[in-house]
This record gives sequence, structure tokens and C-alpha cells, in this order.
Amino acid sequence: MSDAQGVIRHTVSVCPVCLRRIPAVQRRHDGAVWLEKQCPQHGFFSTPIWRDKLDLELWRAGVKPLMEGENPHCPHGCGICPDHKQGTCCALLEVTPRCNLACQFCFADDEMPEPDLGQLRAAIDHIASAGRPTLQLSGGEPSLRDDLPELVAYAKQQGCSYVQLNSNGLRLAEDEEYVAALAEAGLDFVFMQFDGTDDGVYQQLRGRPLLTEKLRAVEHCDAHHIGVTFVPTVVRGVNTAQLGDILRLAVSLSPAVRGVHFQPVSFLGRYPAAPAALDRYTLDELLTDLVAQSGGRIELANFRSSCCDHPLCGFHGGFIVLEDGSLLPLTQPQQTCCCGSDQPPQPEQSCCGGSERAPQSALQEGCCCGSGKTAWQSDNCCSGQLEATQQQSCCAGGEVQVLPCACDEISRTTAAQNREYIGRRWQRNLQAEQESNGQDISSLSGFLTRARSHAFTISAMAFQDAWNLDIERLRQCSLHVYADGMLKPFCSHYLTAAEAAHD
Amino acid sequence: MIEASELQCERCGVALELKKTYFSYLGHAFHTDLPRCPVCGQVYIDEELVKGRMSRVERELEDK
Repeated sequence: MSDAQGVIRHTVSVCPVCLRRIPAVQRRHDGAVWLEKQCPQHGFFSTPIWRDKLDLELWRAGVKPLMEGENPHCPHGCGICPDHKQGTCCALLEVTPRCNLACQFCFADDEMPEPDLGQLRAAIDHIASAGRPTLQLSGGEPSLRDDLPELVAYAKQQGCSYVQLNSNGLRLAEDEEYVAALAEAGLDFVFMQFDGTDDGVYQQLRGRPLLTEKLRAVEHCDAHHIGVTFVPTVVRGVNTAQLGDILRLAVSLSPAVRGVHFQPVSFLGRYPAAPAALDRYTLDELLTDLVAQSGGRIELANFRSSCCDHPLCGFHGGFIVLEDGSLLPLTQPQQTCCCGSDQPPQPEQSCCGGSERAPQSALQEGCCCGSGKTAWQSDNCCSGQLEATQQQSCCAGGEVQVLPCACDEISRTTAAQNREYIGRRWQRNLQAEQESNGQDISSLSGFLTRARSHAFTISAMAFQDAWNLDIERLRQCSLHVYADGMLKPFCSHYLTAAEAAHD
Repeated sequence: MIEASELQCERCGVALELKKTYFSYLGHAFHTDLPRCPVCGQVYIDEELVKGRMSRVERELEDK
């Protein structure tokens, strides 16, 4: 719903120039939804945030708007204050300001001093105490530190659930012994900058050809069983035509490559120029283009907006790479259940195949899956209460909307749930890999083995900058940066004012 | 693991038989062999399966 001026939502943002907190609206006009705001000193700003390729209200999944008086200190009072709506899923730690590339776009702070090992250990102690998050070792280029394996081992010892390396892959390509040392130390996975499938993209974005080195880095990580997720920075006109190619290449490298995590470019830190409207590549554009370029391998129905972070901050879809190279989507548009039948289920079948529930008997008091309350204990049949209320449980046999998250409340997924969801997919599972070939994917055991060995996750995260910052989104951020002795939401920590920031 | 023939259907009074059984959950279908009543078709699912493989399938298929 919109008012006469096309306003569909009220929120709070900042002035891109002075970063003061100012009211903002989301307004629909000219085929898009724009975040609009007026700074008393620096004037009017309007930035596209959604291009109406997908239904924005469905995508939001019922997340409530920011109400007057809520989160009054965002973004300038961050640390994670009591008003913040989400815990720490991933904690990012900059271990060096040094880098071996000079990219057009970079959010990182290259002016910080190089921390010593003692300082980093103290930071890890603090991070690990915040609910065992995934630790992202970042930079600069973190692999320029020779002592990185020591940090990885220390983080695992201190209880971080997963340790992730954010890297451009160059050292991983040239120094296999270093990769072996990281693996030995317990590194779980690498988020590898991977912008395209030809060197023209790297020349434009990173200043030189890099494809050969990227692929060698994947080989070395594969040899030492470290999962790799490709992370393309997506810039309109540079690599927006290669989304499908990146996906196909990543799938062909499964199980070494565990997924692709697309990041539409944001204007934080270093960037060539302040963004024009067309420079914005919105999440709905990204997803519809990706599906269109996939050659039918994936569908819109296979994806959901972020549950852990705000829906406008990302999307994800879980898949399994089958032996023929095709993708089996784990999120299905039709979600019905028929359990315990001796026939393959038909689409029109509801739970129990229309038969009555199992009576109290030696067969146990049954739910529709034929399982008993003893076995399922606190769970209801097949699913949690949340799904039941959304008519998605196996007892409901209902059809669901395909895109939005199934939940309708803020903080719908805890940071811990999110961490385990992504962690077990991005991590290699060698035992499952050894057992997976030739398994019948339609059997319970075969499915589980393949799901562990060849999980593949397609996801995206849209970072916010001074133009499109929305406090409604920021307050739900689960990616936190450790700096100055505290954890801060990523997009408030790296927030940079327009004039001062770019080169 | 209890042998299928050791289980009896309370309703029908007959011994269960091990049969290929289909499950469907969130749009995916799987099969495994389970004790089934040859008369009424009810199946017996032991706790180990429910807490083990079925629970793991749920975790794989349920979204975050």
C-alpha cells in the first residue's frame, strides 16, 4: 500500500555527506522503489533499493517497519546495543591492513596499524565468548600474515564454531604449503573473491588478470579439503552478464566449491565515484538475472529472502549437486507431505495419503509420519510449530508461497541456527564424499550422504552504504565486525561519508 | 534393531513385514525399508530412525 505520494514505508537513514541520522521513506515511482531522504544541510537524496522484478511485500515476509522511537542510537551508538534484534552469526576480524591487490572497490580500512599476535588472540577470546560465532579472518588480505595458521588453531581451540578465511586467493594459489598449514590448523572454509570467468572482469575490478590463479587456489584448497565458496562482487556492466557462467563453473567444481555468495557492489570505503541510480544492482535484479542466465538449472522458487538478517539484506537457496552435474533444489514450491506410504507420493496427496491417523497401539500413537510422540517428543509432526502455523507442515499438506521466508517475525532465525545452516554446507565432508558415488538419492541414506558431500548454496548479501542505509535493516544485522574492543554491525562499522571516502 | 517379524499390528493382529516404504517431506520423497502391517498398511518407525536419519533429513530440508 502506498499513499498519494507513493510512500510505502517510513524508516530512518543517514545523510550520505555528514552521516547525521535523518528520517527516510521508501517511495515507489518510475518502476522502482527508492529510499529518499532530506538532510537539512546537504539536501535531497534518492537511491533505488528495489526494481520491482519481484513482489517486495512478499519478499519482506511480514517484517515489521521501524517504529518511531525504536533504535534511537543507530547507527552511531553501535556496539551491539540492547535494541539490536539479532545475535552474532559471523564475527569479522581484520588481521592486517596490507593487501597484494589494489581493487576499484574495497570496504576495508587500509589505514589501521598491523595488529600483533597477542592483540589478535585477545580479540579472538572476546569473539569466542560471544556465543561461539563463525570467525571470519579478513583484511586487507589476511593470507599475507605468515602466522595465520596459528590464529586459526587458536580460534578453534577457543571454541569458534567455524573459522573462515576471506581471501583473494593469490597466496593460496602460489603457496600450497601455506594452504596445508591452514588445513592442519583447522580452517573450515574460504570465502574467495571470484568475480568472473574471464580475465577482462579481473582486469577491470582488480587491476590485473587473475583467473588462472583463482583456479589454482581452488585446486590447492581441494587437495587439502578446505571448502571454497566463490564470492563475486557484482558490478553492473562489468560482470552482470556472467552470473550464470560463474554458477556453472562453481557447480562443475563441486564438491571443492561449496557455493556462490553474490555481493552486489556497495559504496563503502574505496570506490571510483559516488553511485548514480543505475549503479545500483538490487537484490531482485540479481536473483531474476541469475535465474535467467542459469539455463533452467535453478528457479525463483528455490530461493528465500534472508531469515537471519533482514530480507532486504540477502537471499539463499540450498541445493545438492547430483552425479550428472544437475542441481537438486532443497527448497520446493510445493510442500506437501505423505509419510509412511508404500507408494511414491502423488502431488495431490495430503498428509497420510488421506488415511486416518495411526491409533494408539503397539505401533505408537502416530502423527502423520507414522512416528510417535515418544520419538518426536517436543516436535510436532515433521516440523516445528512455526511451519505448522504457516500451513507448511506435513500435516497441513498446504501449498506455500515460494519466495519469502516462512517466518513473519523479526529475529526469526537465530544467529546460531543460521551459522549451523551455512557452516555444514560450506564445510567439506570427506567421509560422505567417499560414500556418495553410486548412491540412490531417493533413499533416506543416499540423500543424506549426498546432501553432506555435495551441498551447494547460492546466496547473496547486499551491504548498505551511506546512500541506502536503512536502520530497519541494520538493527537485524548478524554479521558483526570486531573493532575497538567491541562487536559492531558490518554496515555501521564500515559506513563512510560520501565526500571523504572515495579515491 | 527389532526384526519386523517380531512386531505385531495391534489392530490386525498379524506380524509386520519389512517393506519398501516411501516418505515425503517438504516436497521431497525418500524410501527406506520398514516393518509394515500387510493388512492395514501401518508402518512401525523405531526411535533410532526418527531421531537419526529422519531428523537429519528434516535439518537438510527445513530452511534456516
